[in-house]
Amino acid sequence: MHWLALVFPDWPLQALFRGQTHTFPQAVVVRQRVVALDATALAKGVRPGHGLADALALAPTLVARPRSITAEHAALRDAACCALRYTPRVTLDNGGLLLEVAGSIRLFGGMDALLRQLRTDLAGAGFHALSASAPTARAARWLALGAPGQCVSDLDALPGALAPLPLHAMEAGTHINTLLADSGLNRLAQVMALPRNALARRDAAALRRLLDQALGHRPDPRPGFEPPRSIDSRLELPVPRHDADVLLFAVTRLFNAGCAQLAAAHAGIETCLIELEHEHHPPTPLTLTLGTPSRDARRMILLTREHLARITLPEAVSALRLSAPEWTPLNGHSTDLFGPHSPSPRQRREACSQLVERLRARLGDDAVHALSVRADHRPECVARVAEPGSSQTAAAAAGRPLWLLASPQPLQLHDGHPWRAGRLQLVSGPERIESGWWDSDDLNSPCPGDALRDYFVAIGAGHERLWIYREHAPPHRWYLHGLFA
Amino acid sequence: MTAIAAITSRHPALWRACDAASNEQATLSTGHAGLDAELPGGGWPCGEMTELLTDCSGQGELSLLIPLLAHASRHEGWLAWITPPHLPGMSALAAATACTSRLLVVHADTNGERIWSLRQALRSSACSLVIGWLGHADTASLRRLQLAVREAAIPLILFRAGHVAQLASPAVLRLQLSASAPGALRIDILKRRGRPASRPLHLSLAAPVRDTGDTHGHPAAPGPLTLVA
Repeated sequence: MHWLALVFPDWPLQALFRGQTHTFPQAVVVRQRVVALDATALAKGVRPGHGLADALALAPTLVARPRSITAEHAALRDAACCALRYTPRVTLDNGGLLLEVAGSIRLFGGMDALLRQLRTDLAGAGFHALSASAPTARAARWLALGAPGQCVSDLDALPGALAPLPLHAMEAGTHINTLLADSGLNRLAQVMALPRNALARRDAAALRRLLDQALGHRPDPRPGFEPPRSIDSRLELPVPRHDADVLLFAVTRLFNAGCAQLAAAHAGIETCLIELEHEHHPPTPLTLTLGTPSRDARRMILLTREHLARITLPEAVSALRLSAPEWTPLNGHSTDLFGPHSPSPRQRREACSQLVERLRARLGDDAVHALSVRADHRPECVARVAEPGSSQTAAAAAGRPLWLLASPQPLQLHDGHPWRAGRLQLVSGPERIESGWWDSDDLNSPCPGDALRDYFVAIGAGHERLWIYREHAPPHRWYLHGLFA
Repeated sequence: MTAIAAITSRHPALWRACDAASNEQATLSTGHAGLDAELPGGGWPCGEMTELLTDCSGQGELSLLIPLLAHASRHEGWLAWITPPHLPGMSALAAATACTSRLLVVHADTNGERIWSLRQALRSSACSLVIGWLGHADTASLRRLQLAVREAAIPLILFRAGHVAQLASPAVLRLQLSASAPGALRIDILKRRGRPASRPLHLSLAAPVRDTGDTHGHPAAPGPLTLVA
């Protein structure tokens, strides 16, 4: 067993803003007392334990928020999801995390490499952690609190590593800490040197139990963390903001955490909803639709950027919520032995759907389409707008133009001849295309009514070849329908 | 002379102004032997931008690309058409052996969105050919397009209005298209790598041209060069 403990300094603040820095100093207060603060506030002279009035006197622009236990729970859950990539055994522990990594150290190329990757993942979700590792869970936690950065791999070396820790690292409670401090003890070495009975007699038997667990003399079972099966996370902005890049930065935090959660569950999402909350308006919804199930945070962030560039916000955004209740199973895929030089059909399919979704995010759903074909003798009924990737190849027909006008354009008549910036010369035709009565009743069909036409190929004034037709029915109007481009 | 030959063989990117082209560039045959002979590398440049300038639709400007479309449809990947001015005639495309099922049509209203769409299509590895219809575009955005197409290494064909011939463009190949007679396309090569072209080309496009068709050029007779499909 090898446990890695992660503790998050200034956790109430980290959980609330997830590393979104701002020019204003930030702090979290409980009952008008500062409990957590950022570096800007610290530089202004604010300290934990200051009253809110004192803190505001020192830093008038201080953004002070009440502590939110809900946000802390949600944030710890997100951080745990990031850690699940490294080991299946993750435990939530009093505002920190415990990871059992004995089985993963080799896979990730050593403890240092694992920690580096884990820190990068956590930083992506907006968390900054201090860590230490030890053969027992409790010792790892104490080391992380008292002397972070240590890595003790041997049970025999534990007493020596724990000895110099200050007493508060034991988290034994103020009552016991006061008792020990009053007895003149301030290092763990001194407590460990005490006879067992002495502690029990002084109402500190619990401390003995903790010490035994830390040193591995007593079992210390921990419940595993069960990741939730849906994404629903919310992030407040320190100050309501309009700017797309600030919003994108906050969204990035949410996506990184959400995608880590998806990766741990071997799942992907096809659609998700981002709600931009305002102070005085109902939230602005943003629905992201991905062509294929995915858990690629970068792809979702790019899509969000296109959406954000398109919408107009009624008011500055005060908080963001990301929710994706529907998950689909998505297995990881192996990389190509021969490298990325020739994209595999699967990669190409993914590239296609990503291209379509990016274009649609900016231009709208109707602006991007493929053309499907159906057997119909009326030229305007052959092609139909279709979902990209679902269409079939057309049947070949000779003598048809490469351009068809979306709607036939009426032609003028001069002396009984069709005219378009000059008299049109008919070079071939007529080709009679008629009937379509079966569509007459259905006005919603793309080709309502009968087609009764004689088509001609005509040459225009600029030597352009045109496809024009004359209606059967009086008054025998002429129309331009296509161009032999 | 030998010294020059040694230099040009050592640096393939160097070319002599009296030669038609460098042969380093990957190209795709245009399907018209006469046009191939005039284009550097013998065809449409891959990974470069080609501008086709035309003022009037219906003169055969799209038929010129039919062999290229047919070639691109034999590969995986989509044929992206960014803001075509009209609906593509599916039957005619199918008759020219272009694969119509992999056509991706994108409508974008503004020139900025068109250029953005073109860049997206080029940057994704999903397309085997990108054709765009573009109005006015500043040099910076054209330059960005050029960078995107170099990375993509597929042909990018831009249809633009005839009057932009006066404006500078980073495209390596610029052809002005017009009709000299019904069904005959006149091609003025405004810009190409190597020696500037002196004479316009005339292609007959009345019949659908297959890319394996037996196009042949008549040697230079007095007057314009004439090609018959």
